[in-house]
Amino acid sequence: MPAPAARCYPSAMTITAEDRVAMTDAVRRLFADQHDESVVRANMETRSGFNAAFWSALADLGVTGLMVDPDHGGLGGGPLEVEAIMEEAGAALLGAPLLSSFMATALIEGSGDSDAKSRLLPAIAQGRIAALALTGDAGTWTEDGVALIADREDTALNGHASFVLHGANAELLFAIARTVDGFGVFEVAPDAAGLKSMPLPTFDRTLRLARLTFDKVPAHRLDAAGWSAVARTLQLGLVALAGEQAGGARRVLEMTTQYAKVRYQFGRAIGSFQAIKHMAANLLLETESAISTARAAAAALAHTANDADELVALAAFTCADAYDRVAADAIQMHGGIAFTWAHPAHLYLRRARADVQLFGTPAAHRERYLKALGA
Amino acid sequence: MTATATSMSDEDLREEVRAWLTQNWKDHLPAPTPWTTSPALRAWLGKVVDARWAVNRWPVEWHGRGLSDTQAKIVEQEFHAVRAPGAGQDKTHFYAISALTFGTDAMKRQLLRGMLAGEITMCLLYSEPGAGSDLAGVRTRAERDGDDFVVNGQKVWTSGAASADYGMLIARTDWNAPKHRGISFFFLPMKQKGVEVRPLRQVTDESHFNEVFFTDARVQAENLLGELNNGWRVLQTALAYERSVMGEAARGPRRNSGRAANDLIALTREAGRLSDPVLRQDLARVMSYRRVNALNNARAKADLETGTSSPIMSLGKLAMSRILHEEARLRTALLGAGSLLDGAAFPRADDANFLTLNAYFTSIGGGTDQIQRNIIGERVLGLPKEPEVDRDIPFREVRAG
Repeated sequence: MPAPAARCYPSAMTITAEDRVAMTDAVRRLFADQHDESVVRANMETRSGFNAAFWSALADLGVTGLMVDPDHGGLGGGPLEVEAIMEEAGAALLGAPLLSSFMATALIEGSGDSDAKSRLLPAIAQGRIAALALTGDAGTWTEDGVALIADREDTALNGHASFVLHGANAELLFAIARTVDGFGVFEVAPDAAGLKSMPLPTFDRTLRLARLTFDKVPAHRLDAAGWSAVARTLQLGLVALAGEQAGGARRVLEMTTQYAKVRYQFGRAIGSFQAIKHMAANLLLETESAISTARAAAAALAHTANDADELVALAAFTCADAYDRVAADAIQMHGGIAFTWAHPAHLYLRRARADVQLFGTPAAHRERYLKALGA
Repeated sequence: MTATATSMSDEDLREEVRAWLTQNWKDHLPAPTPWTTSPALRAWLGKVVDARWAVNRWPVEWHGRGLSDTQAKIVEQEFHAVRAPGAGQDKTHFYAISALTFGTDAMKRQLLRGMLAGEITMCLLYSEPGAGSDLAGVRTRAERDGDDFVVNGQKVWTSGAASADYGMLIARTDWNAPKHRGISFFFLPMKQKGVEVRPLRQVTDESHFNEVFFTDARVQAENLLGELNNGWRVLQTALAYERSVMGEAARGPRRNSGRAANDLIALTREAGRLSDPVLRQDLARVMSYRRVNALNNARAKADLETGTSSPIMSLGKLAMSRILHEEARLRTALLGAGSLLDGAAFPRADDANFLTLNAYFTSIGGGTDQIQRNIIGERVLGLPKEPEVDRDIPFREVRAG
């Protein structure tokens, strides 16, 4: 069996820093041209939560297959590229299942199952919608939180999974379940008998979550993939999320700073008042800290550095708290205009509040951070 | 030896520095700071200056070699590799940088070598009791009298004033001009009858700062830096330097008793609180601030090296304020009633109490956090300035109190 850690993220070898900048620029232009606020609002009203034409455009640029190795039709990127692209996606409030594509790629790569790789990775690169059932109603994204159980033969699943991103619309579905030997990763047909998926109403209207119930649902266990494959997938997911949070924070701060320059009260731009200016300076510190930690975590994961666990946990709570704070203060700094549905500030706060909870709370990440430091 | 190295290859230059260091560097001396010096250090620095390794980017006539930044870094790397101080002062010795940039040739001849060799020491004569955050409101006056200026007034927060040979002084030279346009910048000789230095007892019960009183003190007109009444511009260079330095480092605990003194996890374990889940959340949050600041600084440096200016540089001082105040708060929380005690017999309490007070050194000194937020808001985020009621009126009409 190949050592998964060495094989996990090939980007350091295949994609140069210049390539990464060029790719990120191209994606930024695509968002600027085809994914403005009106697109976000239109997507909010659809079942899928995203625009199929835009998703195809991302696939054409290679973004959906960013982490898929070139042998399977992808770009062979890794955490550094994922983080950079997610900064742009976060700034533009992308609702499409890009995060799931990246995490599904990591899960399949980490499974070491060559049959699964050759069947599934090309599909992900082409833009098929992947969903990962990783936690139950507890929503902890930890071993304790798994509420699916495999039968003794590892051929069928029972139980439930919740908070599944794009779970009601998935074309490829993966689930973690308790097995006789611990945990296993399973591939499930989204239309399998006994599987019911119920879309969940979400506070972030750009988010698509589902609760899945399993009643003797036929499933195929991937080779050699247990909790460690899920743990690595979650690490990648947290880095991607940190990128989204950093990019979102930066965009909402830019928006707020811009408004503070043009909104006049008492005959002065409100940004000239120290009450506003000092909030903005504090938010800049939060935002830059989010960017620094997200990128440092991505680099550590890409190079399988010794302090990767520490840096991923650090980025997870730093970015989550930063985005939440920046988006919340942005509403206060805008004043009444941002108390309206028509103003976009609340869209960022809704996303920031969602991102705080996904894949574990900041409190849980702080615990992990201390453990990584030996405390 | 005296030939400039501009036409030298990088390899030849590296060879030459190495050879010189091998031949001359034998000691192990502390790195120089603007306020500390010793005979051995001065002797070494003098050697470095005379061999033209101190300020490699500067022109040949002022102790330099006219090297490019890249080649100068080669010299600095070699010095650093053997832990020899003295190179790269064209980037770090801001008194000398100010003298080179704004001084007359006569002043440069008189002072530069001594400053670089640590023989001439300096202090800053900026803040006044009535001009803290509003530094452009200084009221110490300098009036022309023949070839001299006569100085009267008071400065405060001056480190190293008792031993300094010269002070970098900002003083009011035109009371009819608006506040920023009537200030001049001088190198004032400190060892004279009209200068009185009184140590100031600080909130930490230490004395690193002084008050300085001027009663008809004299400074030669040729010690004016830059043009008369143009001192505000000269000052900006020095202030930016001071702020960037404060974001990178600050004093730690003064008792330093045991390895735990500087390790918050060890302190928490020692206090028996490492399994307290509420305290663990606090500990993780506080520890993250220092780690994040290091990551921010590393990113800022990387940005600078690729030629992109980074907004993060100006955030360091603000970040450091939060780090110091929050760490001190956590140390106090770990001790509980133990923090009532103090002194050498109770080193943990003494550290917590000292650090609680000394955190204000960073959050007030070199510009308060509030001034720093104005600077970030205005210069980094581009927000408009607060209207200033005293900006365009003659200074003598400005209200003070």
